[in-house]
Amino acid sequence: MAPSLGPARILLRIAFRNLFAGRAKTLIIGAILLLGTALVVAGSSLVESVDRGMRSSIQGSLGGHLQVYDDRSKDELALYGGMGREPQLEPIIDFSRVKEVLSRVPNVKRVIPMGIDQAMVATGNQIDVALEKVRADVRRIEAGERDDDLLRHYQAHKAHVRRMVTLLRDELRAARVLADDQLLQDRKQANEDLARAAAPAFWDGFERDRLGNLEFLENRIAPQGMEGGMTIVRYVGTDLDAFLEAFDRAYVVEGQRVPKGRRGILLGKWYAEEYLKLKTARRLDKIKDARDFQRRTIAGDEEVARWVKENTTQVKEILYQLDPIQAEEAAARLRRALPSEERELPKLLVQLLSTTDQDFDRKYAIFYDQLAPLLQLYSIRVGDTITIKAPARSGYFNAVNVKVYGFVHFRGLEKSRLAGVMSLLDLMSWRDLYGYLSPEQTEEIRHLKQVAGAQAVPRERAEAELFGGGGAAVESQRASRIDEAAVLARIARPAKAEDLSARVYSQLEIDRGVVLNAALILDDPSRLAETARAVDRAQRAAGLHLKVVDWQKASGVVGQSVSLFRIVLYTAVLIIFAVALVIINNAMVMATLQRVREIGTLRAIGAQRRFVTGMLLVETMAVSLFFGALGAGLGALAVWIIRAAGGIPAGNDQLYFFFSGPALLPTLGTTSVAVSMGIVLLVSVLSGFYPAIIAMRVTPVEAMAADD
Amino acid sequence: MTRIAAALAVLLLQAAALPARALSAAEALAKVRVLDERTHNNGDFTGLCYLESKEKDKDDVVRELVYYRRSEGQRLLMLFTRPKAEAGKGYLRIEKNLWLYDPSTGKWERRTERERIGGSDSRRGDFDESRLAEEFDVKWEADEKLGAYATHRLLLTAKEGVDVAYPTVRLWLDAATGNLLKRQDLALSGRLMRTALYPRWKKVWSESKKGDVWYPEQIYLYDEIEKANSTMVIIKQVDLRPLDANMFTKAWLEAKSR
Repeated sequence: MAPSLGPARILLRIAFRNLFAGRAKTLIIGAILLLGTALVVAGSSLVESVDRGMRSSIQGSLGGHLQVYDDRSKDELALYGGMGREPQLEPIIDFSRVKEVLSRVPNVKRVIPMGIDQAMVATGNQIDVALEKVRADVRRIEAGERDDDLLRHYQAHKAHVRRMVTLLRDELRAARVLADDQLLQDRKQANEDLARAAAPAFWDGFERDRLGNLEFLENRIAPQGMEGGMTIVRYVGTDLDAFLEAFDRAYVVEGQRVPKGRRGILLGKWYAEEYLKLKTARRLDKIKDARDFQRRTIAGDEEVARWVKENTTQVKEILYQLDPIQAEEAAARLRRALPSEERELPKLLVQLLSTTDQDFDRKYAIFYDQLAPLLQLYSIRVGDTITIKAPARSGYFNAVNVKVYGFVHFRGLEKSRLAGVMSLLDLMSWRDLYGYLSPEQTEEIRHLKQVAGAQAVPRERAEAELFGGGGAAVESQRASRIDEAAVLARIARPAKAEDLSARVYSQLEIDRGVVLNAALILDDPSRLAETARAVDRAQRAAGLHLKVVDWQKASGVVGQSVSLFRIVLYTAVLIIFAVALVIINNAMVMATLQRVREIGTLRAIGAQRRFVTGMLLVETMAVSLFFGALGAGLGALAVWIIRAAGGIPAGNDQLYFFFSGPALLPTLGTTSVAVSMGIVLLVSVLSGFYPAIIAMRVTPVEAMAADD
Repeated sequence: MTRIAAALAVLLLQAAALPARALSAAEALAKVRVLDERTHNNGDFTGLCYLESKEKDKDDVVRELVYYRRSEGQRLLMLFTRPKAEAGKGYLRIEKNLWLYDPSTGKWERRTERERIGGSDSRRGDFDESRLAEEFDVKWEADEKLGAYATHRLLLTAKEGVDVAYPTVRLWLDAATGNLLKRQDLALSGRLMRTALYPRWKKVWSESKKGDVWYPEQIYLYDEIEKANSTMVIIKQVDLRPLDANMFTKAWLEAKSR
């Protein structure tokens, strides 16, 4: 052993002596290697953690492990939306067949049907909404119903509309001061209508012609208070029971699950907070969040100050919500709580909402404790039946009424828009909205076309074909008698929406029908690739025309972001190590040329070329290993410090999703350390290779002949 | 004889070479008034209509609908009767309000003048009495040929404060009969949005008007933004008998389509 250790020891001693002799060079090379290694270790640990977080977010909220969709689809599946629109997928006509075939594949635990789309929830303007309630009462009263509860609600709804009309009149009266004569002239009729609707005589005589008076309010008054409109809801139509069992992150935060087999919707809680909440309350929440968690202040932050100002100038939405009794109660409560001597509710509201950094917390509590119980904080509440409208396959809209059973959250993703914007809709309602034409419906349309016998004229030939012949383009004709009874018989509907909401659908009915995609939950997610191949084989054998993709591909652009992070990181690492390679190489070449005499002397006293090469390689590798290990340690320390400091906070809702929670808590991956050390060694060997060749070629004669 | 023929030919050629005589603003407006007057019934009007719409990458929209008009109060009710899934849905125009009713939800929804009727390229105005002279200022643009027809091309600009589907409209009127043959709807920017062709007109005697009421038997609508989209409207039957007094109310439609 001793003879073989001897040269190695000499090699190491010479190498270390050289390294110490050229400290400046060694430190420069070392610093570059240290930086690169620290970046690889910390960066890849972060990327791995984001990857894990996102995997957990996607798999636990919507994606499952694998997804299947029709392989003839024009677009690729994108669970979180495509480029500005939902992807166009060909429908899977019979989900039950897909479920049957794929459930038999080993390692497939569940197959969850899905159809993702967006729909409009019409809210109308506030007067329209209030009038809709009166109309619903009037329908029942006109049908002969007279129960006390109905009559009490009817009176309250009427009182609410009357108050809105009065508020609208006062508001427009104030605006009239600023209007010019022409505008006043144009609005003459509108003002007369408003005066009529606000007059006691109108309400005293309301019962004499309920429907006529309602139409007057709907057509003449409501348009004057035109605002509001609609919100967009994004939803997944699914087998709700199967979904909630398969996706463990989803939980009902308020209300209850939709009873098995029933129609219904669970609205995303995040969506409700953002789009359905009373704007004043939402702004108060945002101010609180900004102050408590983002260290912003009303006095020092322009945006927060703007929210306060908006609250004080937009008290109308609160006033419109309150009927006369509630308005009195609200004023009394505010006078006590603020406290204030002010009599008028609008002014009391302005006092409440004019918050400063000093009194914000107190007034926030007053709002929620005293005022909120009198208000409808969300435009849609648990138990409401809402109408949602979505563009069907024909491009036109289909609408359904669905009951809101609750609000749904995704555990750990409560503040994430990507997850929280999603609502869960029963599959039967989704199918109604999707508007897939059944064979019977297709046949009905074919028949209509055939009877009409109309031929479409292509645009490019239209003028020549329709006007080329000239001649008289008008004919006299006798008026027909359209059979109105037959027309009305066609529009009479046997089934009412209410019947559908009460109906309980069997599992077979839920499964048999159209879906757009399906999520596959696996028993053992580590066998994902192998199972994907088995699923593909099974669907091919059954002729299902499905495309099988993993969760990452199924999530579209969102899923590709980790790959993007990784590309950015490795590009940065590549640049750093490419620079390192050039610098180390140059430094070593310079050092070698300076040591030609020394190398020549070594060669003259019997050192072999192999020894000289080894000496230089040992020098570079020693630097690399030392500083690489130091860099890896530094990277590990950075990861530890980030973790100890509570992680990297998710500054926006997208990061919330990527981090799978409010902060990214990175963990040090052994792979990261191993990879970084491997890269460092490779770079050192490559950078030391060329100087070693130069040194190897030095002969004692050349060395002796060379000048210093 | 040959000389006379040659002289006539020269005169004809000279006449053809003369520039078209511009219609004065009053003449152009008079042409449009005639158009309005022809579709006006001064009473009630019922039309049975077939509508077929093609849209890129979508299923065809096919509908049968009945539309009811009452000159007094400018009221309009459109009621879909086929296919079964659409039966009972309807639009109701009361004054400046356009309402859409869906019996499956029992809800009324306020819509705008730009509403695509039943998802097609047609608009409320395509089914209503023409009120162009009331809604637009009219200007003659040119006389030109449209296929075999000599036409006047007029430019219409919406009057201030009037709610119309398109602020600018271009019309091609048959110079011989005054019939509307072609219409272009333009956005405020001047961008062409929609072209409508009216190859065949029919007229029926109206007792309430004591004159003929004209209606286009066919309308071909071409979307100029999404070029693959087009709609065909065929008015199959018209009936001018008086309608139920309460027909143009929400309550009537609700009661009938439940």
